[in-house]
Amino acid sequence: MRLLRFVARRLLQVVPVLLGVVVLTFVLVRVLPGDPIRTILGPNATEADAAAARARFGLDKPMWQQFLDYLKGLVTGDFGTSIQSGAPVGSELALRVGPTLELVVLAVGLALVVAVVLGVWSARRADRFGDHSVRILALVGNSMPEFWLGLVLILVGYSALGWFPAPSGRVDPDTDLTPLTGADLVDAILTANGPAFTSALSHLALPVATLAIVVVAPLLRSVRASALEVLRSEAYLAATTHGLRPRTLLRGYLLRPALVRLPALAALVFGTAIGSTVLIEYVYSWQGFGQWALRGLLYRDYPVVQASVLLIALGYVLVFLIADVVHAVLDPRVRI
Amino acid sequence: MANGRTRAVSRRAGGGFSRALIVTGAAILAVVALAALAAPLISGWGPEEIDANATLAGPGGAHPLGTDTNGMDIWSRLLYAARLDLGVAVAAVALAVVAGTALGLLAGYLGGWVDDVLMRIVDIFQAFPTFILALAVAALLGNGTVNLVITIAAVNAPAYARLVRAEVRSIRELPFVDASITSGASTLGVLWRHVLPNSLTPVRVIAPLNCGWAMLTLAGLSFLGLGVTVPGAEWGAMISLGSPDVVAGRWWTSVPPGLALLVCVLGFSLLGEGLQERADRRRTS
Amino acid sequence: MSDLLSIEDLSVLIRRPGRDVAALSGVDLRVDAGEVVGLVGESGGGKSMVARAIVALLPGGAETGGAVRFEGADVLAMDEAALATHRGHGAALCFQNPRGALSPTRTVGRQLTDRLTTHQKLDREAARQLFEAVGIRNPARRLDAYPHELSGGMAQRVMISLATGCAPGLLVADEPTTGLDVTLTREILRQFRHAADTDGRGVLLISHDLASIASVCDRVAVLYAGTVVESGPAAKVLREPAHPYTRALLASVPDVSGRPARAIGGAMPLLSSPPAACPFAPRCAHATGECTASRPALAGDGWQYACFHPRSGPAAAAPPPAAEKRPATGRVVMEIDDAHVVYGSRFGSGGHHALRGVSLQVRAGETVGVVGESGCGKSTLARLMLGLAAPSSGTVRLAGTDPHAQRGRKLRRLRTKARLVFQDPVGSLSPRRTVADAIGEPLRALGVPAAERAERVAEVLARMHLDPTMLRRRPHELSGGQAQRVGIARALVGDPDLIVFDEPTSALDVTVQAQILDVIAELAGDASRGSVFISHDLATVRGFCDRVVVLYLGRIVEQGPVEEVFGNPRHPYTRALLSSAPSLDGGTAGGPQRAEPRVELAKDLDEADAATGCPLAARCPFVTDECRAQAQPLVAYGASEAACWRVPQIPALIREGAQTRA
Repeated sequence: MRLLRFVARRLLQVVPVLLGVVVLTFVLVRVLPGDPIRTILGPNATEADAAAARARFGLDKPMWQQFLDYLKGLVTGDFGTSIQSGAPVGSELALRVGPTLELVVLAVGLALVVAVVLGVWSARRADRFGDHSVRILALVGNSMPEFWLGLVLILVGYSALGWFPAPSGRVDPDTDLTPLTGADLVDAILTANGPAFTSALSHLALPVATLAIVVVAPLLRSVRASALEVLRSEAYLAATTHGLRPRTLLRGYLLRPALVRLPALAALVFGTAIGSTVLIEYVYSWQGFGQWALRGLLYRDYPVVQASVLLIALGYVLVFLIADVVHAVLDPRVRI
Repeated sequence: MANGRTRAVSRRAGGGFSRALIVTGAAILAVVALAALAAPLISGWGPEEIDANATLAGPGGAHPLGTDTNGMDIWSRLLYAARLDLGVAVAAVALAVVAGTALGLLAGYLGGWVDDVLMRIVDIFQAFPTFILALAVAALLGNGTVNLVITIAAVNAPAYARLVRAEVRSIRELPFVDASITSGASTLGVLWRHVLPNSLTPVRVIAPLNCGWAMLTLAGLSFLGLGVTVPGAEWGAMISLGSPDVVAGRWWTSVPPGLALLVCVLGFSLLGEGLQERADRRRTS
Repeated sequence: MSDLLSIEDLSVLIRRPGRDVAALSGVDLRVDAGEVVGLVGESGGGKSMVARAIVALLPGGAETGGAVRFEGADVLAMDEAALATHRGHGAALCFQNPRGALSPTRTVGRQLTDRLTTHQKLDREAARQLFEAVGIRNPARRLDAYPHELSGGMAQRVMISLATGCAPGLLVADEPTTGLDVTLTREILRQFRHAADTDGRGVLLISHDLASIASVCDRVAVLYAGTVVESGPAAKVLREPAHPYTRALLASVPDVSGRPARAIGGAMPLLSSPPAACPFAPRCAHATGECTASRPALAGDGWQYACFHPRSGPAAAAPPPAAEKRPATGRVVMEIDDAHVVYGSRFGSGGHHALRGVSLQVRAGETVGVVGESGCGKSTLARLMLGLAAPSSGTVRLAGTDPHAQRGRKLRRLRTKARLVFQDPVGSLSPRRTVADAIGEPLRALGVPAAERAERVAEVLARMHLDPTMLRRRPHELSGGQAQRVGIARALVGDPDLIVFDEPTSALDVTVQAQILDVIAELAGDASRGSVFISHDLATVRGFCDRVVVLYLGRIVEQGPVEEVFGNPRHPYTRALLSSAPSLDGGTAGGPQRAEPRVELAKDLDEADAATGCPLAARCPFVTDECRAQAQPLVAYGASEAACWRVPQIPALIREGAQTRA
């Protein structure tokens, strides 16, 4: 009950932030230089053509009128029409979110597991060789340009060794995968399509590895730091001096207090991962949300920019909310 | 109560690793900075000079690291790019620190509606992953070195504002601030002489790490065509230009600039990590 | 010998690059089953290192010599498997800060059953019984509590239950009562005595305060700079200590009987190698060439001491004849009239009522003591006098002016007329400013030119007996005592009308406390200035205050001349405070009327916040319905005033109570 009230209160706090995001993106895309109409019409279009196109997208109306129309659309779930493709933004979005989520969720999940195992291992060997190596590796991961790492993996995994497919798709078209959610791996499981599953998996391997490597570094450092803090705490010392069994010590006195901060970290990393996917999708020609939003941004495709910015903000805020709820459940000290 | 001097001793003890981190990081950065300054001396070609006879030439001969599709010398461009990458990153972080600290100080010390308004703005900024925000701002502001500095600074400033604000709010409650107020010091005096210097402690640790991140952002933006564009010499732009060659197995157009970027960012990371560890040691001992 | 624990010639040298620390040098200590042994000394003396050595948990880089024998086996030579049983089941530690030593994300019940199942194959029911045994009310419910939900006293009880839950032969408690008030301290110490008497465990009690633990100890050992300087039967060491350090340690603590603290100069050295001479010699008044040339061995049978020139006779000097306290006639420097302070009630309801109608006058030349337990509002009172907190109603006048009616420069000037000396000496100095900067700050506000500022700073520094080289240091380079002297210098430099000392010694080591009290007593005699001395400790106040004010839950319950309040307490709360204050006689009967039976309050209750009626009603042994219904104003009884209508009946009530108990 308290939890529900907490969630409700937090959702209410989210509303002004999202409203600010909506207003700000709306105004900024229009005020700052760049004209979507010119980019779709090309250099040979006349003024009259431009005016006609403007009228078609409602861009000739005064700004407040456009804003009201936009808000009205938002309330009914209509994100407008893409200026570039002429297709409804909502349906384009639905196609693009699945592939990106597939990438991000797999990578973050993988990174979490690796970070917890290595981080705790490293903390228990603090200031010894193993610990130092793990920390240096984490720092290298932290300093890694993900788009370059992607290229290097392609160079090695595809060009040199030929173990992985070319970076030009998400699944072999010959497998006849029926798209359901947009996430190919999930679709393959849902339609029990074995060949599609292996194909999707091999296409996913390099991008997921790339993203996981960049994402694991900050997680690993934080897990190590909080595990170390617990190990050096008086509470852990007390448990040790009272001769508790190693298993009890590890589970009850090290992991639990060390991992209460993990949800918040995971949320933060989720954000970094979304930023990185834009670059990684670009490298692997992954037809996901990031590519779509980036193109919208480059061509000043107003409805696309507005929709993607809103979606990212909403997703980010929700992920943090979930993290806070999980944290509250894990940590008895948190009052909600 | 341990006396101050022995504490200083125990701080140094076991801090060998953190010192190694700091020294290595600083050394890497010094080498990169020197190479950037000495670029004209150690490279045979100008950064945008085209050798029409050698496009996509492999490493060796007149071009130690080969040339790109335009026939520009990779090694020269690598060196000149260091100037831009380092310069933009450091300038952007400096700007972010100054702006963020000023805002955080105001919000934290004054509280009330100033705090509310500033923090809501920070909230909006922080409702986005920073790289996405950088993308959006860069796309809106357009290319140009100054614009890139502003972009990266703008994206980072909110985090500093929040950090300094939190720090200020806890420092405000410490006895030495009360001591200063009861000594008759003015609000500005308290802020300047006591609150500001003490609230900058975490900023000092985070700024180097942030410089590394700023470089990655700059390169990432350029990679997507939103930052420095060819023929400008910048590591991300160079990687971008070389990326189509990767599928064909031509590594020298994209691997060296990425490696340079990695090493340089690693320098900042090592420095930041070392400083962080030293600060933690100081806090716990 | 049936020794449970026998530490023989234990040395611990911690090797660190830069500097070694000789934490312990040749320590001998013995604890038998069923015996409570106290280990006493100031911080840095090596007490905690002894505790760590007993469970073989020494810091990195430690080199040991000698042996720690537990039931005959050397703990320092044990392998991992043997250590696993020894830790907990052999010797179990109770930690100084119980809330920090409990894992925050596990219920205390789980933490206890973890211990029970590991060492005794027992379950939750046993845990409940154990909680009950250490005096936790509602044990079944408390088992499901998390550590942050417990009060300090409760957490300490849980910690004791955790340690005893391991069924150890030896219970080691590191400063188990630090931070607890007097009533709780006695209760917790009783638990340890109980563990020795009924369960036959050996108990090693570690504390910085000899007087407070002596009552439950069979024997005590005194540690100085990593060496045992004296050990023997508790009563003997407490009353007639032979070693000059033990005597100095005892003399440093002021006593409720009015004996003032006597300070010795200097501070405990931090040795880098085992001492070749008596480590106390540089501070010792009786030291001779012999003492600085060779180290005295611990000698004697049963009562041992390491000293060439042992003293004899009782340690505590008789109280000096009470100085004639003249009624203060100076001008009024601080006047508080019916002040209320309410914190944090932004929406009208709730909020913490820190002060409820306090009136107080301080005159120049007078020192007023303010006493009360934690949470009684004494720090709020300090903040109120300094203008750091605003009264919700009532008035505050500093030097005749209301600071809350002033703004800007005028307010800043007025503020320099009242100064505060803080409880946390290092924390009250800005970490990045030098000592010269800190002391000179009030002068800067007054617009004193830099040259004169430097002169006055140097002057006041000399008055605090601090070296001028100190001026360029930063706070972290100062010891606690030095930092507090700087704090006092800063208070003094602008010639204020009023100095408020807010528990100025409670964060310091005992012998340093005495030095600071000396400094303060010297200043308190100044006729041009009023002083307020705030303390939770009655004994400290008695030494040099003219008047005492006793606070309870934001109200003044008793006030009057110092001799009157101590010699002839009226209010039940004052009586209870006095009778629970520890004294050097090993007992805790307080004041001159030792013969009079003690007054005990009910244990502290969470709901003891009465909006109407007497604030003490929930805890008072003499409570009636009238107390609960009627607010109690201060009424004059003889030379002092007390807020209790039953004062005239109380002596009779106490005698009755004593008879029925007997």
